[in-house]
Amino acid sequence: MIRKMNKTLAALAALAALAVSAAVAGASGLAQAADTIKIALAGPVTGPVAQYGDMQFTGAKMAVEQINKQGGVNGKQLEAVVYDDACDPKQAVAVANKIVNDDIRFVVGHLCSSSTQPASDIYEDEGVLMITAASTNPDITSRGYELIFRTIGLDSLQGPTAGNYIVESVKPKRMAVIHDKQQYGEGIATAVKNTVEKAGVDVAVFEGVTPGDKDFSALIAKLKKENVDFVYYGGYHPELGLILRQGAEKGLKAKFMGPEGVGNKDISAIAGPASEGLLVTLPKSFDQDPANAKLVAAFKAKGEDSTGPFVFPSYSAVQVMAEGMTLTKSESPEKVAGALRSNNFKTPTGNLAFDGKGDLKDFSFVVYEWHADGTKSVASK
Amino acid sequence: MPESFFYFIQQLLNGLTVGSTYALIAIGYTMVYGIIGMINFAHGEIYMIGSYIAFAVLAALAMMGIDSVSLMLISAFVISIIITSTYGFAVERVAYRPLRNSNRLIALISAIGMSIFLQNYVRLAQGSRDIAMPSMISGGWTFGPEDGFHATVSYMQLIIFVVTFISMTALTLFISRSKMGRACRACAEDLGMTGLLGINTNQIISITFVIGAALAAVAGVLLGMYYGVINPYIGFMAGLKAFTAAVLGGIGSIPGAVLGGLILGVTEAFTAGYFSSEYKDVVAFSLLVLILLFRPTGILGKPEVEKV
Repeated sequence: MIRKMNKTLAALAALAALAVSAAVAGASGLAQAADTIKIALAGPVTGPVAQYGDMQFTGAKMAVEQINKQGGVNGKQLEAVVYDDACDPKQAVAVANKIVNDDIRFVVGHLCSSSTQPASDIYEDEGVLMITAASTNPDITSRGYELIFRTIGLDSLQGPTAGNYIVESVKPKRMAVIHDKQQYGEGIATAVKNTVEKAGVDVAVFEGVTPGDKDFSALIAKLKKENVDFVYYGGYHPELGLILRQGAEKGLKAKFMGPEGVGNKDISAIAGPASEGLLVTLPKSFDQDPANAKLVAAFKAKGEDSTGPFVFPSYSAVQVMAEGMTLTKSESPEKVAGALRSNNFKTPTGNLAFDGKGDLKDFSFVVYEWHADGTKSVASK
Repeated sequence: MPESFFYFIQQLLNGLTVGSTYALIAIGYTMVYGIIGMINFAHGEIYMIGSYIAFAVLAALAMMGIDSVSLMLISAFVISIIITSTYGFAVERVAYRPLRNSNRLIALISAIGMSIFLQNYVRLAQGSRDIAMPSMISGGWTFGPEDGFHATVSYMQLIIFVVTFISMTALTLFISRSKMGRACRACAEDLGMTGLLGINTNQIISITFVIGAALAAVAGVLLGMYYGVINPYIGFMAGLKAFTAAVLGGIGSIPGAVLGGLILGVTEAFTAGYFSSEYKDVVAFSLLVLILLFRPTGILGKPEVEKV
């Protein structure tokens, strides 16, 4: 009797499952018919580097809004959907699968190189077009992928920019290169180390720290003992902020430099006065460009901050995606990717053209000097 | 004296600073284990809550225009200890007491659930971003040769030593001299028998959790001000390190937790100082494996008698 009931139950459950899947299929069919083109914005909404995610979402959402105001793309409106990867490679893979399952075929993101890399494998396989506006690690576009692009420069460009500035303007006697052992941090730290060593600068310390670590007193004592007068840090602001703060307390007198991952107002909140004089390589300040005055005003009207390094590259990412769709009159990621490679786009971050790998043909980083109040100015040569 | 000597002293001091905060947190693990034989995995989160409350108190005082450092410090400690202890008490009542007589594994799973709950609760209430605490106490003492390497002890490090020492002394006196402390020791010896002798064991267990939480709050306030940055995730790593310290010293033993904390802190500092920061966790946890291989009960732990 019980067995029979079980069988009936199982049959019922199977029926229910069928009904549900049919309903889901129906719903997604409806979604397809709707007059929107969904663009997934993937990046950290939570976690220690969520500030950068904000920059990315602010820029991309503004682009979506303005494109929609001008009538959208091919008669359809764009719709931005935010996904949180928390800058965690495992979560990034889950997010990428979710985006594929949600039937979205255009992605602006991810932010951290270590998230973008595993996620991009999935997008390439599943025919999703991805443009990152923040990941700078060269490996992301060096694997011959068709659908992976970026609207920002590469560490192989940023590293030498920083390295040459160190060699030509700072001229340190003994320097240290510290990194956070992550794809982005270690990649750029290695690029800087190679550049300065070629020019004969003595790199006395080259080592990694653990992301999320709070105590750097042992490292600082080592830097003091090695008598370094300049430190390059490859990584993000939470760790560098603490190194600056604890270094100032322990009387470490070295000057510091970092990549765009440390160029964030929070570093001044963490390090306070110790953040004064920190050197940072950042993309050009697009919000200072007179041609973008209107756009900056639009951000201001919404009460949003447009000064972050990834705001405008994200805007451009959405814009080139939309223009690619308009040019090809299609929503096929493959066709749009082809259009991106064969056209020039006039965007707030300049005239963009992509090479075969999906990188920008031209992009430059500028060295800025950071101030304790969270502002920055172009560093003197 | 040679430069390397001062470098050694500096790394030793760095290690002892971190180690004493590990010890403060480790006591919470070891006391709870000593009495009810379970591992309170939510304890790291209790430490994190202690940090957040200290931050809230400091922010509130700053808003009211109070800038006396001693007043700010004392109120941060007092309020954080009181509220964090309440959390410790509540966690025991909600998540552990109803499961006291069930399988050990079930209480362990409940503890992990509590840990996830607390972490996300703070994350939702306070946001997941790093919060910077203002550094109130700056400066320190420097000693060493005129030119070359100086060893520096910041005033904040001194405060950490002093506060840890006071807390440990108070705890030792409480456990060894007071009536309640005697009851705690009795519970650790044999919980059932102590109950039969007319001691309210539920109350003693609650007190154990409250003491553990209070010491974690002290560590939370100290480390929050020392490092200057807090976020909802700091409890995980701190809890793991403190748990390691407790196991290293012999779980269930209070002096063992202190010793374990200090050894762990100093090992980390020396690894980072003489070898590389990359390997400090590797060496710290390898040390744990080694000690457990040769002394499975930890340095000061007593072998557990199989209760029939």
